[in-house]
Amino acid sequence: MKIRRKGRRGPIISINAMSDIAFLLLIFIMLISLINYRQEIKIEYPEAEFQEVTQADKNLEIWIDAAGGIFFDGKAVSLTVLEGIIADAVSEDPSVRIHVLADRNTPYRHVNGVIELLKLLQHRVVSLVVREKP
Amino acid sequence: MRIQRKRKKRIDIAESGALSDLAFLLIIFFIVIAVFNVNTGFLLGLPRKNSTKILNVEDIVKINLRRDGVLVHEGTSVTLGDLEEIVSERLILRPNMTLLLTVSPDVAYQQVVEVVDFVRKKQVENFSFRMGEDDL
Repeated sequence: MKIRRKGRRGPIISINAMSDIAFLLLIFIMLISLINYRQEIKIEYPEAEFQEVTQADKNLEIWIDAAGGIFFDGKAVSLTVLEGIIADAVSEDPSVRIHVLADRNTPYRHVNGVIELLKLLQHRVVSLVVREKP
Repeated sequence: MRIQRKRKKRIDIAESGALSDLAFLLIIFFIVIAVFNVNTGFLLGLPRKNSTKILNVEDIVKINLRRDGVLVHEGTSVTLGDLEEIVSERLILRPNMTLLLTVSPDVAYQQVVEVVDFVRKKQVENFSFRMGEDDL
């Protein structure tokens, strides 16, 4: 009797599992970026040569547009409202880092208003956010 | 004669590899987006409101930043290059030199950032700035 040999098949690597992992990673990163989502105000960033990373674990961002409008979390706020927001954030976590993101063309008086408020609240360290000079 | 039909190949989308490529591209996109959210700039220590510090008058270098962005030192307008020379000379003579910057309320914020950037570059440890009067 003639025995018929089975033809050898080459090794196959299944990549089905890889796409599953890729999608899980994708969902994970999308969720993380949603947590870090921030409401941005359209500003032209000031530029400087020397800068450092000022991001901390807990951050609070105050935006000032070219017209001097003050924004927090995407909403326009007055200095009085901002005072309450900062006081609440600091009482909740004293290590919160406050960032001032002002437009490069903003008259300094508006930035100074926020800095004076921080002084009044006895906040010690403030981050003035700038971009790297091209 | 019997005609043999070719079997249609089933396309497995997962085995094509395109899907996983797409997923990885999206992952890279989100990672890059997350990096954009990192703030960079200057960390400034703020003094207490109305706090005072006693300084030796000879250690102080006073600079005014006018509304048109011009720097004024002892009544003369100076460039950042000139200021670099002045500060370097003073730092040799007086290592405890304090740079006091008075800023016009109407000056563009970028001009203030440029002076702060200069101070960082020159590693001036004692630096203070405040807003001046309207007529600077």
